Amino acid sequence: MKRKNLRFYFRIYRKILAQDLKSKMSYRADFIISTIGMICTNIAGFISFWILFRSFPEVNGWSYHEILFLYGFSLVSLTPVQCFFDNNWSLRMYVYSGDFIKYCFRPINLFFYYQSEVFDVKGLGQFAFGIGTIIYSWSKIGLPLTFLMVIKMIIFLITASLIMIAVMNAAAATCFWITNSFYVMDLALKFKDYARYPITIFSPVFRFIFTFVMPIAFIAYYPSLVILRPDEIPLLSWLSPLFGCLFFWLSYKFWMYGAMKYSGTGS
Amino acid sequence: MSGIIEIKNISKEFKVLNRREGLKGSIRDLFSRDYKIVKAVDNISMSIPQGEIVGYLGPNGAGKSTTIKMMTGVLEPTSGEILVNGNIPYKDRTKNAQEIGVVFGQRSQLWWALPLIESFRLLKDIYQIPDDNYNSMISLYKSLVDIEDLLHKPVRQMSLGQRTLSDILAAFLHNPKIVFLDEPTIGLDVSMKSKIRTLIHALNKEKNTTVILTTHDMGDVDALCQRIVIIDKGKMLYDNDIEHLKGFFGSYRTLKVRPAGDIGKQAEELEKELKNLSVSITADDEWISILVNEEKSKVMEVLGTIQKTHDIRDMKLEEISTEEVIKKIYEEGVE
Amino acid sequence: MKLKKYLALTRAGILESFQYRMAMLVMVAGNLLYLTVVYFFWKAVYASAGTSVVNGMTFSDTLIYLVLATALFNFMEMYTVWEIGRNIQSGKIVLDLLKPMRFRSFLFWSYSGSFVTQFFFTFLPTFIIVCIVTNGAVPLGINLLYFAVSVVMAVIINYAIDFMTGTICLYTESIWGINIMKQVIVLLLSGANIPIAFFPDTMKTIVGYLPFKSIYNTPLTILLEKNPDITVVAEALGIQLFWCIALLILSSLFWKVSLRKITVNGG
Repeated sequence: MKRKNLRFYFRIYRKILAQDLKSKMSYRADFIISTIGMICTNIAGFISFWILFRSFPEVNGWSYHEILFLYGFSLVSLTPVQCFFDNNWSLRMYVYSGDFIKYCFRPINLFFYYQSEVFDVKGLGQFAFGIGTIIYSWSKIGLPLTFLMVIKMIIFLITASLIMIAVMNAAAATCFWITNSFYVMDLALKFKDYARYPITIFSPVFRFIFTFVMPIAFIAYYPSLVILRPDEIPLLSWLSPLFGCLFFWLSYKFWMYGAMKYSGTGS
Repeated sequence: MSGIIEIKNISKEFKVLNRREGLKGSIRDLFSRDYKIVKAVDNISMSIPQGEIVGYLGPNGAGKSTTIKMMTGVLEPTSGEILVNGNIPYKDRTKNAQEIGVVFGQRSQLWWALPLIESFRLLKDIYQIPDDNYNSMISLYKSLVDIEDLLHKPVRQMSLGQRTLSDILAAFLHNPKIVFLDEPTIGLDVSMKSKIRTLIHALNKEKNTTVILTTHDMGDVDALCQRIVIIDKGKMLYDNDIEHLKGFFGSYRTLKVRPAGDIGKQAEELEKELKNLSVSITADDEWISILVNEEKSKVMEVLGTIQKTHDIRDMKLEEISTEEVIKKIYEEGVE
Repeated sequence: MKLKKYLALTRAGILESFQYRMAMLVMVAGNLLYLTVVYFFWKAVYASAGTSVVNGMTFSDTLIYLVLATALFNFMEMYTVWEIGRNIQSGKIVLDLLKPMRFRSFLFWSYSGSFVTQFFFTFLPTFIIVCIVTNGAVPLGINLLYFAVSVVMAVIINYAIDFMTGTICLYTESIWGINIMKQVIVLLLSGANIPIAFFPDTMKTIVGYLPFKSIYNTPLTILLEKNPDITVVAEALGIQLFWCIALLILSSLFWKVSLRKITVNGG
């Protein structure tokens, strides 16, 4: 048997993805409505944001544009989880109906195979909104545009994405134990809304929790500090790429553990 | 020479929650739970050589799928040893998966929205099937069944029969050493059933693939299996060929009669009239079948009794059918 | 007896929600955590504002409003759109139509069991905690009665909107898209995320003509009113009643027309 290296998986992913797009096109109405729904969600998000900051021009020493930057940052970092890991949302259904077993018979990594099956194009709309917001707030704050800054930006966006993916993986995997795990995922998704705000608003206990237990502070706050507050970057910001990889790996292990534990019981 | 599948004394236990009844019980369940251990598979051993078709039978909940899950590496046995193709399945699931094919229940493993050929192409990549093998397999398929139309039809638009057929073809595509088929003919019409049986038989002959078949349809067993394994409540009841099994019931004959008039009604009447002759009666559209144990009562005696009160148009005498043998085993066991 | 038939559904729903012990613990814990985030966020917002009253609402007003809005949301959310959508896709809708009850009532009463559990396990505890923590900020008097009446109508309005949205699924394949659009619109325009008092004037006027406000904003405003003016309350309840009746008739008509589509096309 040939070894299954990274190139093998990359090729398989590309093929499965192409097939998924083909099948999406066969449900055109759904595709269009979902895209409109996604755009609505983003617009509503902006409206809420605008209504709120109309009344409060600054929060905890963060100006309107800085918070807008955090907002854009979180939108972009949510894109990969939306695009590549959207099948997590269906996991509960597959597990409940017993159909999950069909993923267990293939000679490739279970987690990879499961996630590769769905690519959610809608996420790209969110990506565009996010990039737009970042560029707008970037220019309003008057940040310098250097090569180094862009590199930093990309690295920390990837970091933030990894954390968000980890959170959703872990939330989805709870369905291997809990029958009605929709609540967990819904909750995890709700929390991402609060990830947009500076963590300094919380009391020390919650700062700790949101940094190490439910690492949502890494989704926008710690990474953005590198860009927004270059004079006072805490150690945690520099460490966040490391945390991103760590949390992702942990969530992967948790997911796989649940999957292997479960697949026997459902008939 | 050891078999492609070697199972030694495997058992599997599950922890099952005892739920209490009613609203009060549910509230109590919230705070304290009480579990019991259930043995789904209890000390089973078997050895299956390459190329054999084995019928794996048992009533619902007997532990069939649990055993198959252990053989496919999805489930780890609580105790005992299991070797599939020289591998321990649960320790190296992906390596094991390369050498097996599975059609599990009525759950299609194909890509729902895609034409069959696209699913095949994906499988080709996933199983890393070389071009030559892939092409020769496809042409083999074309010689066996009429798949030209199917290849370009999305799976979701297929009938149940077409989907089952496609799933079986997909399971054999990478030329695995073993294929597990879980109730492949359930819910299909008579002609589709026979088509699928012919296909399985041909693929087994052509590729010398070992097939483990679970089914409730004895037609599948008669058409395909030399050997059957029967389990119930997790315990092995029987493991040998079918003829040998029928030998246990050598004194049984099936008397089939076709009376004039409504078959169902007359079958009910016969049930009462033949009560003290210890026979069992079933009826279909054409025949009333009466299973007679010759050690207890003679066929001629039964026939005589029937003739007194019923007008018989036609009759025939047969050996016990597989269906009846299995039914008797589920009900009474092998002694 | 007719009512007995419906109450049997309620009881079955209660039993079912008790089966999911872990899910319920997660839900309660998750809600508490979520409310904590809301608390710290708004505290920071008010601390930065410089004044204690913004748009006529104090910090404790806003907090109580949002906390109870979340509790109401958990209590009212019935995932009707998903349920109808899935039933349509799987063809199970035909079975549901065969039941000796009107489909709309059947669905409503099936969910009523989770109303009861949600009321005792999320809404009531939250309400009591809020009353104790804010120490008298929630006026306890005749307004509780008005509030109860208002909530009942809010539930009906919410259900009618949900049911209508669900009916749209008969025409499109897109459950996710339809549902997300509905949710976004309802949550934003009903004042579930941000009290309507914070909205700019033009938006306030627009929202005033729409039914959504009756779901969250009306009951909560009535509850928080310290000296309820009977005419103001009566007017608010009157508007709710109007929407109640209008939407019930509308959803019923829409369902009937759409049903003809099923019976013609054979599902």
